[in-house]
Order: sequence, then structure tokens, then C-alpha cells
Amino acid sequence: MTGFDFSNYNRNAALHARGVPLPKATSTGTTIVGCIFDNGVVIAADTRATSGPIVADKNCEKLHYIAPKIWCAGAGTAADTEFTTALISSNVELHSLSTGRDPRVITCMTMLKQHLFRYQGHIGAYLVVAGVDPTGVGLFTVHAHGSTDKLPYVTMGSGSLAAMSVFESTWKPNMNREEAVAICAEAIKAGIFNDLGSGSNVDVCVIENDKPTQLLRNYMKPNERGQKERDYRFPKGTTAYLNQKIISKEDMRKYISVEEASGDPNLMEVDS
Amino acid sequence: MSSPFDINGGACVAMVGKDCVAIACDLRLGMQALTVSNNFPKLFNFGPSTFLGLTGLATDVSTVSDLFRYKVNMYRLREERNIAPQTLANLVSSSLYEKRFGPFFVSPVVAGVNYTTGKPFICGFDSIGCIDFAKDFIVSGTASEQLFGTCEGLWEPDMSPDDLFETISQALLSAVDRDALSGWGAQVYIIEKDKVTKRLLKGRQD
Amino acid sequence: MDKLIAQYTRSSHQNEFYSEQEQHDLTESHPPLSLKFSLPPIDDSRAFLRAMTDDHSNPSCPIKLAHGTTTLAFRFQGGIIVATDSRATAGNWIASQTVKKVIPVSRLSRGEDKPTDAPTPGLLGTMAGGAADCQYWLRYLSQQCTLHEIRHKRRITVAAASKILANLTYGYKGYGLSMGTMLAGMTPQEGPALYYIDSDGTRLPGNLFCVGSGQTFAYGVLDANYRYDLSEEEALELGRRSILAAMHRDAYSGGFINLYHVKEEGWVHHGFNDMNPIFWKTKLEKGEFSNVTSEL
Repeated sequence: MTGFDFSNYNRNAALHARGVPLPKATSTGTTIVGCIFDNGVVIAADTRATSGPIVADKNCEKLHYIAPKIWCAGAGTAADTEFTTALISSNVELHSLSTGRDPRVITCMTMLKQHLFRYQGHIGAYLVVAGVDPTGVGLFTVHAHGSTDKLPYVTMGSGSLAAMSVFESTWKPNMNREEAVAICAEAIKAGIFNDLGSGSNVDVCVIENDKPTQLLRNYMKPNERGQKERDYRFPKGTTAYLNQKIISKEDMRKYISVEEASGDPNLMEVDS
Repeated sequence: MSSPFDINGGACVAMVGKDCVAIACDLRLGMQALTVSNNFPKLFNFGPSTFLGLTGLATDVSTVSDLFRYKVNMYRLREERNIAPQTLANLVSSSLYEKRFGPFFVSPVVAGVNYTTGKPFICGFDSIGCIDFAKDFIVSGTASEQLFGTCEGLWEPDMSPDDLFETISQALLSAVDRDALSGWGAQVYIIEKDKVTKRLLKGRQD
Repeated sequence: MDKLIAQYTRSSHQNEFYSEQEQHDLTESHPPLSLKFSLPPIDDSRAFLRAMTDDHSNPSCPIKLAHGTTTLAFRFQGGIIVATDSRATAGNWIASQTVKKVIPVSRLSRGEDKPTDAPTPGLLGTMAGGAADCQYWLRYLSQQCTLHEIRHKRRITVAAASKILANLTYGYKGYGLSMGTMLAGMTPQEGPALYYIDSDGTRLPGNLFCVGSGQTFAYGVLDANYRYDLSEEEALELGRRSILAAMHRDAYSGGFINLYHVKEEGWVHHGFNDMNPIFWKTKLEKGEFSNVTSEL
């Protein structure tokens, strides 16, 4: 894999040592769940991304593609879940190309845990890995430090307790597809309504044997915004402006030429 | 010691309209309480109707904008075509994530109209490259909380370029008037498929 | 004999000013410490209060006090000009743009049926630092000044009033009060008098003071153009322009310009005006603030 660039690390560590707080990363204070059924596995997630107390994204995607029949639900630091799954997805693809076989869920889970263990928890990705492969149905959780679990139903993220209460009270063995989707959606809703870090909509992904994977984006929308009664459209000319410049399509080309960009007159002068 | 994001101050906002997008920023460059410059635009052009807004630590705003000018020019030389907003978004995302353990203190915003499809596109990022795709608006900077409030109240779908200008301008001006570290004038770009209008707003100078 | 000696050992101005009883009243009238305010059960209450409230060193401190200000006052031949901005900030958040930072002190002798533009007798105090500290203690000072008027049938001198406040802040030194205030007034005994008092217990008489986060910017304009023989019109304009400069460059100052003129008969309010039109007028008509351009 391509490595990380640590060129700003010493600067930022020195600043941090002087009491500068670390940057606030977008995190998916999240509810994610997974549940196996007769013929496959379902994973589901809420769609809220937070930055501290602020809802940064009301409808983000937390279900990540790994392979056609392996999908991942991510909690923790949003950038880490996004890039870790993308990296493993790419490695899984290469692996399946070189072996000429469909990728296995356990392979993917092992690659994830080895990658995360190597970074000792500094990559804050908490994942639910699910899929079907020639060996059968797989459902795992992977924690940021590299530990894993294999269970028939799993929950993760800040809303995991609320979601787990649904599974612990209503889960039963040998469910069919509809029952499994229903219980997962119910578990996510428990997270959405009872955990402040989770919210908005329910995303579901159903992976079945001998059937194409179905990504049910916004499977439920229990938090639709009410219609505004009136609007606040401003009449033209409300905002005073001192100057304006209209750049037509022809002009646009010269503003971005390589030559002009290199001689930017706005740049700070340096000793020559 | 205060956060690097709050040393120089600044605000940026992007909004989607009907077949157009708008991106706006304030013009302040400060050092804590002292206003050093009232002419520090935080918007950078990377192609016909493709813009990048950068707020945060001013030294990193300059460094990152220069880095992307280099990267986008290399892209143009290799591909012999202009970069699309979506491509720029992915370039920004992966470049920032490369520095996962030593990030730049910036919060970028990408806005543009895709020149092949004509579709408006905006997105925002955290400092380590997590993309926030939004179909309404993106905010960043020291006045971001105020901007969330004004945009959430003023934005509506399918605005014309003229309506979009008034809405984004009022959202930005109202927000920076409640933030000590941003303001001192503002710049707005209204981006349509074959035209870009740049305006300098008359804002409060306190 | 004793009486004779006592008579001659007293200073010659004793009777014009305060008797021993009067002085006693003045100095002993501040409240006994720690009876009025409950203190946190902490050894060093100043350190504790700083840890809780100082958002500069700790941006995530739990209590954000409103502060950040520019206030100024200067003496000139026609009295005293007092001018302030009107912004209150809690961290970077602008909590208010319409704060009244000039507080009238001692309002007993104000006739309610006087014409509105006639001078109001009394002192003026300005507010910088903790808004609550300033408001509370200037109100307390106002109470003491009013009591003084009732007891002695004459208005308190600015010297005495400022000393009440300075003794008070000195008494609470180390408990974490935060205030930088100016007292301005004109009495027959003193003429135009201006004092600076802060929460360290400092009390300074002077011709010209600027207090707050924007003080340096205000001093810059004020010092360059200040003369004692300024006309009333010039003095008001200088106060306004000094505050404007501070509002422009200091992030924590802004809003409205609050102008007062203290004269022999009392103080006159010269408006609470939004800086925005004043700024653009100053820029366009006088060509100042050339750093703000309309170039694209």
C-alpha cells in the first residue's frame, strides 16, 4: 500500500505539546448492525456524521463496498472507515484477480485486522464486515486495535447498546430475508431515536447467496424535514456589492493556463 | 493556546441552485484579535467553473492551495483536459488523507459545475479528507456554526443564479456579523455552465 | 490647650473637604469580605476562576465571560469626552452588538422633568473586562454615591468616588474580579476629573485613558491628534474616530459608537450610532481607511 506522509507530524506534535488541541475529525457517532439469516446476511447503518456536537452530514453513506458480495459498515473516524475499506477493497480485488477465485469474507476480515493492528488503534475504524462466499455466510466485527468477533448478530458504534437491546429481545435463529431486514432496520431505528450520535435515515444492504447484492439506500426515512410554510427569498438587489466581474466561457480558459498560474502576482514576495 | 483553526479566522460557504452553484468567503486575515489584512480571499480557481475554498490556518491555506495548483496543473498536462469538480474532490480527499497523522489545519470546500454533464456539484471535507457530499450547502471556518444556522433557514431548492447570489450573500454576511474572527468584506462567485460572476460584497468593517 | 494644638495640626483644607467622620464613612462603607459572596471551596480561588473562565488559554473552558472592548476617555478644555464601542464577545462568538458600556453613576439629583437634551448631573463609569463585575460594582458605587449625597447634601467628588471603587477592588484582590474602568466627572472642587481604576486595585488620575482589547488602536489615533485646547466639536470627533479605528482593527471591538461629553453641569449623551455608515462615510469623504478597497 502507499504509505502515509508524516511531513507535518513533527510540527503538529510540537504544537500539541504546547497545548494546541488536535483537529476535530468528522466522526460517525454511529449505529451500525449486522445479522445473518437463512440464505445470506444483512447489514444496516444510520446516516448521521458528526463533528463534535454539530451534525456535519445528515445523509452520509456508512455502508462501504469491498467486493460485489462483501460489504462493510463503518463507525468511528469517518475518513478512516472510508479509506481503510477502499484500500482493502482494492487489495481484495487484486487478490481475487491473482487467485482467480471469488474473495472470501474471512480473507477480507483478516486483511482489515492486520492493517488496523499494525496502526495500533491510531486508525479509528470500527467495522462490521459481512458477505457471502463459497464457504458460506460471514459476519464479523473488527475493532480499531485489530480484535475481531464472529457472531450471528452484531452491533457497533455509539448506538450499539440501543441496537443490541432490539436484537437481544427479538432475535431468533433461522430468520428469513424479510425478518432479518426488519430486525436490522428496527435496531438502527433504536439507535437513531435513543442515541444522540446517530440519526436521520436507515441504510440497508442485503447480501444473498445466488442473488445480486441489494443496497437499499435510505430504506427508511423516519426523520423527514417538514415543509417550510413560507420562504425567505430576498428581492434582487438586497445585497450591496462594491464591484463585479463577469467571466465568460471564452475568458475562463485563460484564467487557468499553466503559464499564468505559475506567475501569480498575489503571492508573497520572497528574497530573490 | 487556541486551536490552529481559530488563529487567523475566516469563513467559507457553498450552495447549490438550479443549474448553478455559488461559493463565497470572507476576506479577513487576522492574528488572534488583530486584523492584519482585509484582502485575503480563500477561494481558488482550478478549472473552468471549478473552485476550491480553504479556511483554517492561513499558512496551510496558502500551502494547500499551492499544492493543489501544482497537482491540478500536472493533471492537466497528463490528461490534456480540465479537472472536473468531482475529480478535484477525490484528489483533495486522498491528498489530505495521505497526511492522516500530520494533517494540514484546513477545512476545504469544493464547488463547481461539471463541464460535460452540466451538473452542479459541491462538497466539503474535514482536515483529514472525509468528504461530505451535500445536495444543499456546505459551510466551513470559524463562523461555521452561524453559517449552519443561516443556511438551514435561508436555503431552498432550485434557486436561479440571481436568487442564489442574494441567499448565499445574506447567509454569509449574517453569519460573519456574529463571529469576531471573520468578516471585513466578502467575495462571491456564482458559477453557471458557461459563465462565472465574481462579486465583492460590501460588508461591515468591524 | 489640646484643643488648640488639634486645631493647628489639622490641615487647612480639612473643613472644605471631609471631616474625620465623613472619611470614616467613606472608607468603612464597603461590605465586609466573604460575607456577601460565597467563595468556591478551593485554596486559590483566582486560579480556579481562571481555569473555569479564561477562554484565551483554554478555548473549551466551561464558563465563557463576556469581554473584549474598546473604551476611552480624555480631558480637554471643555470637559471630558467618554467614548466606547458596544460589542460583547464570549470566545469568538459575538454575544451582543448593543451593549451600553457607559454607566451613569450617582443619579440622585437628576430632575425627571428636565428637558431631554439638558446635561444630567453625576459621574460616568466605563465598562471593560467582566461585564457582570463592572455592572455590579458600578451599581454598588452608584448606591454609595447616592448615600453620600443624602448624608452630606452635596455631590461626591470624583476623587472620593474612584477611591471607594479602588478600595473595593483592592479588597477583593486575588479573588478573580476582572474590570478596567474609568470614572469621569466634573465637580466644583476638582474641575474635570478622570480616574482609571482596575481590578488589581490600581487607581490613577490622568488626562487620557484607553482601556480594553482595542486600547492600542485607540491610543494610536488619540495620541496623534490630542490637544488639551481641542474645541468641543473636535473633541467629540476625535473620540468617535479613535473608537472607529479600534473597531476596525480589533476583532473583539465593534458595533455602535457610544459618545458622551461630561461638562460642568453634568453629562450629555451624543448618540449611540452604528459604526457601519460612519465607517463608509469616513472612508469615502475623507479618503481614510485606504486599506479597504473595491478592487477585484
